[in-house]
Amino acid sequence: MGIGIYSPPLSARQKEEYLQLLEACGLRDEGDADIIALMTEDGRLIACGALAGHTVKQLAVSSDAEGQGAMAAVLSALIAEAYAAGIHRLFLCTKPENLSMFRSMGFHSVIETKDAVLLENRKGGLDGFLASIPKYDGVCGAVVCNCDPFTLGHRHLIEYAAAHCDSLYVFAVSEKGSMFSPEERLEMIRKGTADIENCHVFESDLYLISRATFPAYFIRDESRADLVKSDLDIELFCRRIAPALNISIRFAGEEPFSPVTRAYNERMKELLPAYGIRFEEIPRFAEISAGKVRTLIEAGEPEKTGEMVPESTYEVIQRRS
Amino acid sequence: MEIKKTAVAGTLESSDCMVTVEPAAKGLELDLESAVIRQYGRQIRKVAMETLKRLGVKKARVSIVDKGALDCTIKARVECAVMRAAEHEGRVNWGGMIR
Repeated sequence: MGIGIYSPPLSARQKEEYLQLLEACGLRDEGDADIIALMTEDGRLIACGALAGHTVKQLAVSSDAEGQGAMAAVLSALIAEAYAAGIHRLFLCTKPENLSMFRSMGFHSVIETKDAVLLENRKGGLDGFLASIPKYDGVCGAVVCNCDPFTLGHRHLIEYAAAHCDSLYVFAVSEKGSMFSPEERLEMIRKGTADIENCHVFESDLYLISRATFPAYFIRDESRADLVKSDLDIELFCRRIAPALNISIRFAGEEPFSPVTRAYNERMKELLPAYGIRFEEIPRFAEISAGKVRTLIEAGEPEKTGEMVPESTYEVIQRRS
Repeated sequence: MEIKKTAVAGTLESSDCMVTVEPAAKGLELDLESAVIRQYGRQIRKVAMETLKRLGVKKARVSIVDKGALDCTIKARVECAVMRAAEHEGRVNWGGMIR
């Protein structure tokens, strides 16, 4: 019995066994793993798991190997790998019936819905994050954005939102994996909104639109947008974050291009009102999108992005090219 | 011994424990998770605190997820996690602090 750690792609034979095991456990390969742990016995795959950024996923044990500690062994191996790579915060999403098992393995519940539970390896992590954010008086609104990079479209959305509430929280997606680093994106948002007095920019600290709360956003398999699951992310916002910060309006940009983001907006429209939160979708500004800006950068034409981004973003784009 | 970074030692397998050591601004904070916390919680904490004291750790956040480890296992896992967190691997004073 042994555990091997692999960087994808797996060999054809390994992949076949891996996919079979996932399927037998009601999971599917989401294809975004940084590393995959495979546990074999007599050459046969009996358990697996993967690490994608800060998220442990694709944990599965074959039915005939259950109850022998295979899950604990795979999870231990993944935790050791994560720590060795300097990743100390780990999230894990599972079915509610597995909650007590993962609790006994040092994970703590962040949010529970009827189909899924999100756990993290830090006790009181979300409480600590919420306590670190200042509270403002009056009607508070929120925008959550990746801003990869920050465009005049984002600026338009934030300007509108700030004008329609007393204080606006802007949460910058802190997950890696975009063209610009989380630090660059935070800097671009802060500088690009510095003149808007009631706009306050914070990192989302992986609690909003992260690979843990909303994996589909990062997998970007647009053909399967019908399978997009964003309820965990939305419920975490509605039940934990919004009440703590007294947020009563969530603003988002209308999404004509990405089916995943569109499905997310649609779901917010359905779920937010039940929690007393208004959802406002703002029409897209002058056909600008961060995707178009990225395409121009990738095509080696960063100078053409000047019309779509504020000065402060343009500087960051030039700095990297 | 000064805790410089976050480190982990041990596993979540039966009869083992996973110990995480993190830098802290002040004091020793110990968080314990165990299925036998009612029976052995005090003993596990005692072994862990004695080990930390012997290693001269004054400031740290320590978390132990216990899976029924014996005292000697707890001691060894705490020592290993501290050595890693203090970037002290490879120059362990066997018979000195570790005994």
